[in-house]
Amino acid sequence: MLRHLLQRGLDLVIVLFGISVIVFLMIRLIPGDAVAIMLGANTEVTPERIAAMRGALGLDRPLLEQYWVWLSHALRGDFGTSIWTGRPVMQEIAAQIWPTLQLTLFALVLGAGLAIPIGCLMAHWRGGRADLVLRVGAIAGLTIPSFWLGIVMLITVATLAPSFASLGYVPFSEDPLGNLQRLLLPAIALALPILANLSRLVRTAMLDALSQDYIRTARAKGLGERAVLYRHALRNALIPFVTSVGIMTGYLLGGAIVVEQVFSIPGLGRLILGAIAERNYPLVQATILVVTVGFVLVNALVDFAYALIDPRLRTAS
Amino acid sequence: MLHVVKQGSGLRRALRCSVAAAAFALLTGTASAQMLEVAVEASPAGLDPHIVTAFASSQIVLGPIYEGLTALDKDLNIIPGLAQSWTGSADGKTVTFKLRPGVTFHDGKPMEAEDVASSLRRVLSKDVGSPLASRLSAMESATAVDATTLELKLKEPSAPLLASLTGIAIVPRGLETNKDALQRAPVGTGPFKFEEWQPNGFIRLAKHAGYWNAAEVKLAGVKFNFVPEAATRQVGIGNGQFALLPHIDAATALQLKGKPNVAMQETTELAYTLIGMNTSKPPFDNAKVREALNYALNRKEIIDAALFGSGAPAAPLPAVLKDWAVDVKDLPCYAYDPAKAQALLKEAGVATPVAVSMTVLPRQDIRDIAQVVQQQLGKAGFKVELKNPELGQFVQDWRNSNFDLFASTNAGSIEPDDYFYRAFRTGGSTNVFKYSNPELDALLDKGRSTLDKPARQAAYRDAQKILGCTGPAAHIAYPTLFSAVRSNLQGYDIYANRSLVSLGRASLR
Repeated sequence: MLRHLLQRGLDLVIVLFGISVIVFLMIRLIPGDAVAIMLGANTEVTPERIAAMRGALGLDRPLLEQYWVWLSHALRGDFGTSIWTGRPVMQEIAAQIWPTLQLTLFALVLGAGLAIPIGCLMAHWRGGRADLVLRVGAIAGLTIPSFWLGIVMLITVATLAPSFASLGYVPFSEDPLGNLQRLLLPAIALALPILANLSRLVRTAMLDALSQDYIRTARAKGLGERAVLYRHALRNALIPFVTSVGIMTGYLLGGAIVVEQVFSIPGLGRLILGAIAERNYPLVQATILVVTVGFVLVNALVDFAYALIDPRLRTAS
Repeated sequence: MLHVVKQGSGLRRALRCSVAAAAFALLTGTASAQMLEVAVEASPAGLDPHIVTAFASSQIVLGPIYEGLTALDKDLNIIPGLAQSWTGSADGKTVTFKLRPGVTFHDGKPMEAEDVASSLRRVLSKDVGSPLASRLSAMESATAVDATTLELKLKEPSAPLLASLTGIAIVPRGLETNKDALQRAPVGTGPFKFEEWQPNGFIRLAKHAGYWNAAEVKLAGVKFNFVPEAATRQVGIGNGQFALLPHIDAATALQLKGKPNVAMQETTELAYTLIGMNTSKPPFDNAKVREALNYALNRKEIIDAALFGSGAPAAPLPAVLKDWAVDVKDLPCYAYDPAKAQALLKEAGVATPVAVSMTVLPRQDIRDIAQVVQQQLGKAGFKVELKNPELGQFVQDWRNSNFDLFASTNAGSIEPDDYFYRAFRTGGSTNVFKYSNPELDALLDKGRSTLDKPARQAAYRDAQKILGCTGPAAHIAYPTLFSAVRSNLQGYDIYANRSLVSLGRASLR
């Protein structure tokens, strides 16, 4: 177990290093640097002052040196300050991470939570009319983009229930009901593709599991149908499901950018988008790293979940 | 399998529960009475009135939070602001302002002549690097004579001074070299004071109890919500979550027209869209080619196709500046005539089709305009390749004059000098066209330093004739600007310069 943990930790370090190099280069290779964007059409500033601004931000130094400066600070926990607001980037991220975390969790619970019963139902009714309807529905859910679904839901709800506050964000601590109310539509918009994807996966995995020999054995030794399904079939079917949930979390963080834009939620997605547009280098680097850490951690959790579900994996590691 | 089905019905129960919870929230969720909810597209970059230039920032800053010495009324006349009155000396080089008494900043300190003098010096400060500096380039010194008297000494008489001062916010003294303090915590004298900024979320202002005209301010506060998606803003004003969408474009306005409880206000904007030409290299270094481009454009068609018919063909000055503007009909080059354009190109001795590239500002209306222009020019002997860089690249190319043509928008004001001097005079700070015409320079210098109105009018009339035909910019349109107003909002007036100053008089029913 300890070895496994260490291995995971080492993976994380390598991934983070790789990502930091890629992000560092990419944001700097796109044309137009922070100073140019900050000044915009302002031509009152003398070239000397522009040079001084570049100097103050360290943009006049070679890329390798810039990266080293950033890395050595980051290793000491200092991720720099936002070029535009002058506040520490971690503070900026902390101010905007909660809506995204909440939205992601909400959508994940909704999508993954519903996928198991629906997938089981589809397996149960396989070949029947209900199975067909659900499968076509799942394909629709996979192909409909979240932002379109979001806008359609917004307009529909606004027409049917005009006083249902569906835009923006209020912290849970201030107004719990208002918070859930505002997150409901975006969470559904995000959850639907996951639900579609995962329910199809559960269906296939269940069908696969139900046709295995050990199910026949279980039935033959007189186990009740419920025990056969849950202790034997579903448990085995859950392994690919859990893997997918881990990958879906990455998808959710990406989808959140679009959905946050549609529902005007002040989350991490809009922070990243804005930071890229204004070439806020330290902020871009830090936000991408935070998202990466989140993704790697979730997938580490998935590994441990395997061990919980499947005793064979526990002994193997 | 039975259990699975049971679990399904539990889910149904849970769903029913959450619907009930939502219905309950719907009954209890009401906004506070006099807090005006406004939806705007973009979050400001900062709130320092001497540094920010983008509309996104300045509409929140100037008017609601800050005031200038002079102000504008709805019809764009100059009226007293923080200065009650002013007198000029005979030689026009000294202007004395009498300040309004009893004005306090949001931090409770009284606003005095020293604050005004300090604000003007701050705009000129090299450390602050304010884009407004050129508007005060005539200023020599600003001195506080006593608490309510300010003396402004000028290097030369300045006709645009009073108009320029409408755009220069008065901030507390002591910030002349500080370019950071006001960006996130503005301190002004306006009807609303800054309260909270949730990045990407909203900016909330509250009524300034110590406002000099506090009796007129009826709103308890204003909340600017940042809503990037047009469809979302429409939904918000449709269901009453927002009471105002200020300064929206024609596309959004058309979709909102006829919605119950939403009224539309409109005015013609002072900013204009333009096709800029690089006069430092062929082919647009040749005046005949620039003239040909003007003949090749059908402005009416561009407005119909790209702006949904909402806009006015643009002469170098907008018709609303009625004392100054030359009518479009009096500009010969504005007659659409592709054959004449072809002939002029032949005269110029350039090989047709003239292959050029056009760099386009990444904004939907500008992109649409560029496509129509590309077609029209194609019929008149040009071959235009469109370039669609993202904003950072566009700004960089624009600033470095790295283009043949560009399609963009330029801000306007109530002062001809503002339109022309920076953009078209030799060495002007936004003369990215690298245009240089001694005849025009002389006219613009005269317009700036002559206080005699008829002489100024004559100078600007001649300047417009030059700019309208062989100038470095083909003016396309003054777009119509719309504001969507919920029926419970009273007293809001749309301003052609995008000012939200009328919120100080607005109320919610």
